[in-house]
Amino acid sequence: MGQFTRFSCTIAAFFVLINGISSVAAHHSTTMFDHSKTMTITGTVVELRWVNPHVTLTVNGSLNEGDTPADWLMEMTSPGNLVRAGGWRRDAVKAGDKVEVVFSPLRDTEKKGGALKKMTVLATGEVFTANIREQEKPGLE
Amino acid sequence: MKICSPTIRKSFFVFIIAASVASQTSAQAPKKTPSVINPPPTAQDWADLAKLPDWSGVWNPKITDQDAQVKTNPPPWNEVAAKKIEAMFAEEKAGRPRLIFSNCLPEAHPSWMLVTHNAMEILFTPGRVTMLGESDGNRIRRIYTDGRAHPDVSDPTFHGHSIGHWEGETLVVDTVDILPEVPLAISEAAGVPNNGDMRTIERIHLADKDILHVDLEIFAPKILTKPWKTTRIFFRQRARKFDIVEGVCVQGDLAERVNAEGDHVFVPVEKSAWGNTVSVPAK
Repeated sequence: MGQFTRFSCTIAAFFVLINGISSVAAHHSTTMFDHSKTMTITGTVVELRWVNPHVTLTVNGSLNEGDTPADWLMEMTSPGNLVRAGGWRRDAVKAGDKVEVVFSPLRDTEKKGGALKKMTVLATGEVFTANIREQEKPGLE
Repeated sequence: MKICSPTIRKSFFVFIIAASVASQTSAQAPKKTPSVINPPPTAQDWADLAKLPDWSGVWNPKITDQDAQVKTNPPPWNEVAAKKIEAMFAEEKAGRPRLIFSNCLPEAHPSWMLVTHNAMEILFTPGRVTMLGESDGNRIRRIYTDGRAHPDVSDPTFHGHSIGHWEGETLVVDTVDILPEVPLAISEAAGVPNNGDMRTIERIHLADKDILHVDLEIFAPKILTKPWKTTRIFFRQRARKFDIVEGVCVQGDLAERVNAEGDHVFVPVEKSAWGNTVSVPAK
């Protein structure tokens, strides 16, 4: 194997490794969020990703009046748990809907994101929660 | 007329004998082991399923009890494993939770039973009980109840090889051949690889009309000082809207987008080292 080929393989392996590190979806703990804090923003839904193992909701809004609106990424539990525990549906919200979201922010305050606790659809008043421990009895409806 | 010399004739004779012996040897050597055929179920086999307890429906776990047992019933970790677990709890408390189930690998057995936050369903068919999980595409356990033994040659997998039998209304399951890399986890951020030779005995039964108990005894000699006993609790749901649907874990790494050619494609999202989604590409 030539020197250049070996070098190319090393570079390729490096990028495979980097890609591996950036793709680590899994069931994970949520202590990257500061659960001792609660924040609220009102904004516009950009996207609801109804996927396992963690649904995400992107909302464009601002924490404080007068701040430039930005995209905030909310993470939740799985679709199945949201249906059982929080009354969610895949079509609970769509892009453009106005919502209020209550969440625990990321400890890394440089990033705009959090663990969603509650979402209220402003047009209808519908409330959706995301506490997986609220499904601990049989015969839920 | 002599067509060849005595030496050549002798050589030819020896060759014929040798070829004959070799032919007989090769005919005997690869004695094929007869295949074990799974018999087709009979009408009686199907009818017998009706005598089993009713475990239909969707079963979701009692997560608060999983949380509580972290403190009230910890595994008897050996010294090395205990130090690792202690470090993981410290990291989790500091907001840097270890990603125990990285790369969307299954929670596997027995951690699926121990720490899952998702529902499962249990199917009975002749000779087998099948557990199907929610959220991961490959979360499945096949428990053979047809009287077979564990295989002579180990073929380790994430969920191991499970054989079961009924003792009254309790399914007793013996599981071996679990991959040594599979963690024994007590939370989504605390668990260590079992490092081999892990075995579990489960006694699965209804504790109440709609409450299922999985009593586990876990033998993990490389990381535990003695077998660990624990019970995990599941609640039955029958509302149709809770039916388990397909869930593919790796889909969480991807966003659904339409590319420049008009094709619907998946594109990667950005994840943190701890597994949460950091950003999603714009549409």
